[in-house]
Amino acid sequence: MTLTYEGRFDRPNSMGDTKTVGNALHQAPSESTIQAHETRGLKDLLRDSDSSFVPLLKSKTKEARSFSEVLALNTLRKRASQTNLWPSSKSTLRLAIIGGCSLRPLADLIEHFTIVLGDVNLQLWTGDYDNYISEIMDEDSNLYAFKPELVFVLPSERRCRYTGRLADPLALQEAEANQAVTDILGLIAQIHDRSGASVVVGNFRLPPYFDPGAMRNSGLSSEYAFRKYVNYQIGLNLPAYAHICDIEFLANRLGTVRAFDERTWFESKQPFSTDLMVEVAREFALLAASLKRATKKVIVLDLDNTLWGGVIGDDGLEGIEIGTTSPRGEAYRDFQQTLLEISKRGVLLAVCSKNDHDKAIEPFLKHPEMVLRLSNIVNFKANWEPKSENIRQIALELNLGVDSFVFFDDNPAEIDIVKQFVPEVDAIWLGEDPSTYATTLKDCRHFEMRSVTKEDLERVQLYQQEAKRQELQSTATDMDAYLSSLEMTATISEFTPIDVPRITQLINKSNQFNLTTQRRTEVEVRALISSTDHASFTIRLSDRFGDHGLIAIVVTKIDGAELLIDTWLMSCRVLKRQVEEATLNEIVRVAKERGCERIVGTYKPTAKNGMVRDLYPRLGFAPGDLADETSTYILDVANYSPSKTKIQVAEPAGATI
Amino acid sequence: MQQSEVLERLQGVFDEIFLEKVVVTPELTANDVSEWDSLLHVSLILAVEQEFGIRFRVGEVEGTKNVGELADLIAKRTEKK
Repeated sequence: MTLTYEGRFDRPNSMGDTKTVGNALHQAPSESTIQAHETRGLKDLLRDSDSSFVPLLKSKTKEARSFSEVLALNTLRKRASQTNLWPSSKSTLRLAIIGGCSLRPLADLIEHFTIVLGDVNLQLWTGDYDNYISEIMDEDSNLYAFKPELVFVLPSERRCRYTGRLADPLALQEAEANQAVTDILGLIAQIHDRSGASVVVGNFRLPPYFDPGAMRNSGLSSEYAFRKYVNYQIGLNLPAYAHICDIEFLANRLGTVRAFDERTWFESKQPFSTDLMVEVAREFALLAASLKRATKKVIVLDLDNTLWGGVIGDDGLEGIEIGTTSPRGEAYRDFQQTLLEISKRGVLLAVCSKNDHDKAIEPFLKHPEMVLRLSNIVNFKANWEPKSENIRQIALELNLGVDSFVFFDDNPAEIDIVKQFVPEVDAIWLGEDPSTYATTLKDCRHFEMRSVTKEDLERVQLYQQEAKRQELQSTATDMDAYLSSLEMTATISEFTPIDVPRITQLINKSNQFNLTTQRRTEVEVRALISSTDHASFTIRLSDRFGDHGLIAIVVTKIDGAELLIDTWLMSCRVLKRQVEEATLNEIVRVAKERGCERIVGTYKPTAKNGMVRDLYPRLGFAPGDLADETSTYILDVANYSPSKTKIQVAEPAGATI
Repeated sequence: MQQSEVLERLQGVFDEIFLEKVVVTPELTANDVSEWDSLLHVSLILAVEQEFGIRFRVGEVEGTKNVGELADLIAKRTEKK
């Protein structure tokens, strides 16, 4: 016997060409000596029949990214099963894997991940190389004799391509692509009809090579476009008993150059590079586990340096970093936004923070840049008890098992305590850079939507009816209808201490929509808050696509019967949204409140603010003194009737306190 | 690189991959080691490539009869660099 084997080797990830791809995964695999050393630690535990072997192997498997490490862990696990160190699970899964490629060692990786991450006993049957079509079509095949509960099918990627000429008519290309979709869906249906099994279908990688250049995405004749179309159509037409193992996505995430390795195809008909093989196996295992197990239901959150930057107890409402004023503030805001979106899927949010309760709730009540409000939090624990105790208490009060909880904190010590005292909770350390928080949440794999519910389907019908109604009412090019559809809400507020940094930033940064380009320091802005001669306000705007934050600022000076507009500026990204009109409505309201009869607007031209040269006349002001350097315009308060806008004006968050 | 030097480094790789102790000699073949099945072979060759910073060409390893020939191939590849 020689070194010749069917199962062949694969490309190491340390080779030169992967460097050109860049770091596709932030948990990029590394064949470090540390890993090897810890595997050796597992070997020692195994030799000593130490029961801590099992949890250590589980956590190593969760983190493992390299092919050889997963294989080494698989071997260790098999040995542990032989000596009964590995526990037998209560549930068993009968899994069949079939496809148009060599299925080993992929099946061995799948076996390992499914047993370890899915906590099941596995009965595994693998089909022959590229024999899946006859295994499915022949009702007496070994596939059906095995009586699988779940079938993983990997259709032939090489045959998923257009066979005609690159420049054929599109109709021909479409016909062939649709036939490919029909064939695959037909095979999936046959598997289910004949065995009753659920089906997971692997879709197709998109090729990493440049050929055929400009033709790649201009029809379906390139392999790239053909497979992209087939993947998409399979997804759209998938029956409820089938699921997609999204290999297209996994390969893209990894980088397609790294996901392909032609050598292993030529040598042993391996479907993927070793790196992608690991990702596919893990993904399949998580998918299989999720079909049997409920997803997590509750997110428990720390506050300081988790939802905002800084410590509320030390830095106070004005000192914490949240919102669009600073890059860090934006990152925390984005994390909150992601939490809010996940909560809309039905996941509950709870707070567990070492803080004084009254201090801790203040940002939720009063900070204008917070995305999360108290109404989004189902249970709020801010005290000085251990977090492990608090989390158990929250579970008790919500009447949910702690095993449905996920805990996020920036403090590794708190993560450690929760891991130690409430091991059922998945405690996730957010790290030290808030710009990664939202991504960590989106990559944690706990809150993914597995399927569409009946309510979702009803909602779809409702939307369709609504869409029809709107279609009848207006055309898409109608500006008024467009503005209505944005569902804009403006929040108008007097200047507040919290907003001073953002106001100062805008006053010194805005050039285009800025009538006077009057700059001010933070001290001067702060002075405006208490000045009785001035009336100043800010406007925040949000619409159904999200929150634009603080986008307009007005400073006025009251001079007897006249109200002088000292500063009026606005962020250009909300131009033509009727914010100008809404702002003037507010200026007039303030003028009336202060007993002013006339409003005087000033335009000071600069090299950059030409866009607002005609703002005052356009809004109905009469010309006053017109000069090259400074022009004034006058509006009689009594003659002004408020403009109707599509913007709904709301009270600021702090106003109700 | 001398064959003996390659064999020495291969011993380190084998110690990582096999659970049981396998002594690397030029005459060693897969047949001599019960653990050395097709699956482990994939893993072993990958680890060898990583250890020596090389990539075998298609079909190359298939042509080697024993670990000695594999070592010669590795020596040839590392010299080419």
